Amino acid sequence: MRAITVTTGRVLLLLAMIASGLMFGGSAASAATVSINLCALPGMAPLTGAVTVPIWGFGIPTTPGDCSTATASLPGPQLDVTLSATETTTVTFNVINALPAGHSITFEIPGVTFDAGPADVDSGGTLSRSFTAPASPSAPGAANAAGTYLYGSGGDGGRQQAMGLYGALIVRPSTANQAYEPAETAYDVEAPLVLSAVDPAFNNASDPMAFDMYQYRATYWLINGKAYPDTTGITAGAGQRVLLRYVNAGYDNTTMMLLGMHEHVVAKDARLLNSAYGAVADTIPAGATEDVIATVPAGGAPSDNGFPLFNRQLHLTNGGQTGQSPSPLTGGGMLTFIHP
Amino acid sequence: MARRLRRLGLALALAAGSAVLTPGHADALPAGFPKVGMVCTPGSVAGSTHTFNLTANTGYADTPDGNSIFMWSYANHDAPDNDHFQTPGPVLCVTEGETVVVNLTNTLPEPASIVFPGQAGVTASGGSAGLLTAEAPASGGTISYSFTAGNPGTYLYQSGSDQAKQVEMGLYGALVVRPNATTCPAVAGTSCAYGAGTRYDSGREYLLLLSEIDPVLHHAVETGRTYDLNARRSRYFTVNGREFPDTIQDNGTALQPNQPYGALVRLQPNTATNTQPALIRMVNAGLLNHPFHPHGNHTTEIAQDGRVVARTEHFAETIGSGQTLDYLIRWDDTDQWSPASNPLPVAQPNYRNLTFKDGNTFYSGSPYLGYKGTLPTGTVSQNVCGEWYFPWHSHALNEFSNFDEGFGGMATLLRVDPPGGCFGSATATAIIGGTLKGGTFAALAADDGTYYQVNPKTTTRPTATTAGQTTITVASAAGFPTSGNYYIRIDNEVLQVTGGQGTTTWTVSRGQLGTTAAAHTSGAVITALANDWYATFTGLPAGAANLKVTYKGKNCQNTTGTTCAALTSNLPQQRVQICDWTIAGAAGCSSATSAGWVTLPPPPSQPQGVGSTDVSSTWTLPGSGSAYVGTGTYKGQVRVLVHTQRWTAPSPTAFSTWGDLMKIVYDAP
Repeated sequence: MRAITVTTGRVLLLLAMIASGLMFGGSAASAATVSINLCALPGMAPLTGAVTVPIWGFGIPTTPGDCSTATASLPGPQLDVTLSATETTTVTFNVINALPAGHSITFEIPGVTFDAGPADVDSGGTLSRSFTAPASPSAPGAANAAGTYLYGSGGDGGRQQAMGLYGALIVRPSTANQAYEPAETAYDVEAPLVLSAVDPAFNNASDPMAFDMYQYRATYWLINGKAYPDTTGITAGAGQRVLLRYVNAGYDNTTMMLLGMHEHVVAKDARLLNSAYGAVADTIPAGATEDVIATVPAGGAPSDNGFPLFNRQLHLTNGGQTGQSPSPLTGGGMLTFIHP
Repeated sequence: MARRLRRLGLALALAAGSAVLTPGHADALPAGFPKVGMVCTPGSVAGSTHTFNLTANTGYADTPDGNSIFMWSYANHDAPDNDHFQTPGPVLCVTEGETVVVNLTNTLPEPASIVFPGQAGVTASGGSAGLLTAEAPASGGTISYSFTAGNPGTYLYQSGSDQAKQVEMGLYGALVVRPNATTCPAVAGTSCAYGAGTRYDSGREYLLLLSEIDPVLHHAVETGRTYDLNARRSRYFTVNGREFPDTIQDNGTALQPNQPYGALVRLQPNTATNTQPALIRMVNAGLLNHPFHPHGNHTTEIAQDGRVVARTEHFAETIGSGQTLDYLIRWDDTDQWSPASNPLPVAQPNYRNLTFKDGNTFYSGSPYLGYKGTLPTGTVSQNVCGEWYFPWHSHALNEFSNFDEGFGGMATLLRVDPPGGCFGSATATAIIGGTLKGGTFAALAADDGTYYQVNPKTTTRPTATTAGQTTITVASAAGFPTSGNYYIRIDNEVLQVTGGQGTTTWTVSRGQLGTTAAAHTSGAVITALANDWYATFTGLPAGAANLKVTYKGKNCQNTTGTTCAALTSNLPQQRVQICDWTIAGAAGCSSATSAGWVTLPPPPSQPQGVGSTDVSSTWTLPGSGSAYVGTGTYKGQVRVLVHTQRWTAPSPTAFSTWGDLMKIVYDAP
């Protein structure tokens, strides 16, 4: 399911770019340009097959400028930008605030340096923010270069992000199937994993600004907006290199444990590490991103379901807990599998 | 109910007397386990297959505030443990390349399993399918897991079933994969955590396994009640299944029958001869990330999750849930503060102005490593010999508590012993064959050229002596041997006493050791040709081990004057002996020839010829020091005798014995 979602996102993005007449490339002397249209709007999100909650989320309007043609999703659509090998790329986000009146939004991408301009917009308005990415390969540590980023709105004192206004931005180097420019970041299979949590009581409140955050208590723990068993597995066979792009959009420092293989942590916060390291349980701070590559070993997986990847804080439950054992007993929460 | 009865039993035992608490361990530990440091459960090895038999069962963990928590854990099924409940689970130690087989029997009321994070290719046989791995069915089901220990390192093992409940309940433990001889070429006294660059002192390997407990959940499971996992709030924070101060109790303490693993980290300063660091293996089996803060020195992080990382130095590092981290720690006494040679540049607070929480302290009363000082009256010191203690604890300070009462919880101590061990200086001397020439026991405290000096014993002949007389009377026999043949000197003649020892009428052989029998006038002085004195050391703890005795001294030709007259030939023979209190108690070490004196074993061999140049020697008594540490009236007392005799030709003359330094060094419990 996740793979389909990503494909859809890319198609929509492509459509959006075609519709706005902006594509990669351009004249050799000028920068390439990418324009991404987004709407921030109310919607509904299915956390599991049985549970759907109201959200505020991002969606891509099929008709630019018309948010009635957009659907909010949790997380927001995956945004992809591929850098040019020859020239800089200017990326522009046109974000329409379609939230209820009185809620201004911001558009933020930690780690990205935006060009000068407004950073927020009231309900009903459009916010345009742009940044310039370097040609790829770029100098180490160059601003706005390839990497995994979290985008979102910081409006309403952070409550908009709790409502669902977040997503993953992937800036790709010019070489295909690599997370970064060095060849050791090559991968066969890519899996962005947006980690977050939802307290349905908060999302169901008539106005998130009226909710007493002291009472906030997440009960659904999500990978790409879904709790197990509705999470989408990661399909990869023995010997394949799986790139896991962790994006922690939640409020907790989240430790993800992978069973049956080591993962190789190559980058944090869209910056390559000087010293990559092996891990089976690495903690992704709230608001941070992390790129790891795991090579699927030959031989059997720990279970018939594959190689488990799960939240080691053991947020493996869905919704309220009133029984003598965690619910659902068959597994829930922030859990997925890598399987053939 | 069973729990209450057990606690009642403990209370009765306490009322009846503390002796009940001292018998050997009832815990899940192999024979001969060390009191501090990591203890491995041996399992069984056949060829290259290393097998462990575990049982998932239930039991109770005690907390320092008197609570008793219902736990689930893994027990060692093999003897001598025989499924004795323990938390955390057994420490499984294997060698790189071995095939590891873990057989699990599940006595819990729901399916249970084991997953091995960091191990690839784990296969399961038997059991039933589960979410993360195959499981042992409830109430007696079994399963067997097998994998090749491919990489050295520190790993976690835990339940893969109903994790949110079972891991909280305690189903976890540590797996240690040691490198094989190819990865880590053998070097005596050392081991490696990974490759040869991760060498450490084999005797200083520590495991700190962190976890936490929400007693409400445990009580709900115990009583079959419901529990809101979303309301989880841990109240107890553990290291190796215990909360501070229980964490610093020994491995296998009888006080904690189900929590066998202590967490005290004990080091000696690294020196030219103690070059290797200690290894600290940390495992976070809990659900929370813990910011762990070791006081006292930076620790060097060398690995994470069983893989070597670029080294970084830390005095605080968050260890994530499910993560393992390995550290090397050196402790270098860079300042070398010493009361004599390098005193602290600031005045110390007067001990009368000090107060200690609960009137209890680990402070010795002296700021100098290896020294003890004065503490306010009524203060109890846990300090043995001036060692230093540093807290290692979670810096999430709510975790540094027991049910919100501090200090406690996720904490232990780093104990730094003085270099070489605890050392003691003489607190008294006694001359049992000789007379005091000069100095006091204090002169023996340092190698500083100040001497404790003993002259030979003398007496007189009340009457004249003929050249052929073989029975003589003396004014006093005090200080002369009461048994055995010995030599004396009158004028230029050496005589051997062969009878009447201990009385004032001696049978003697005349003209000995190259001298000629001669007549002596009435009142002639009789001089012993041996000096005997002993030093007393006090305050040694029961359980002191590996005693080392160092003595440095010389013998001088003169018995008067303040300089040492050279003595370079026909050297006095020195024999240093220690009191073995088990032979005849204090009486056994009362005179120079008492039976309790035991010659210190070589090296160096004894007797040694010692002239007027100082000779320094150190003897070691390996193993328990219990025979040499007095009890009862003589509790904590060690006596070391210096016997020096000059009983060899030609014509030995009397001499004085000068002691410069005498100290003992020992491993405190």
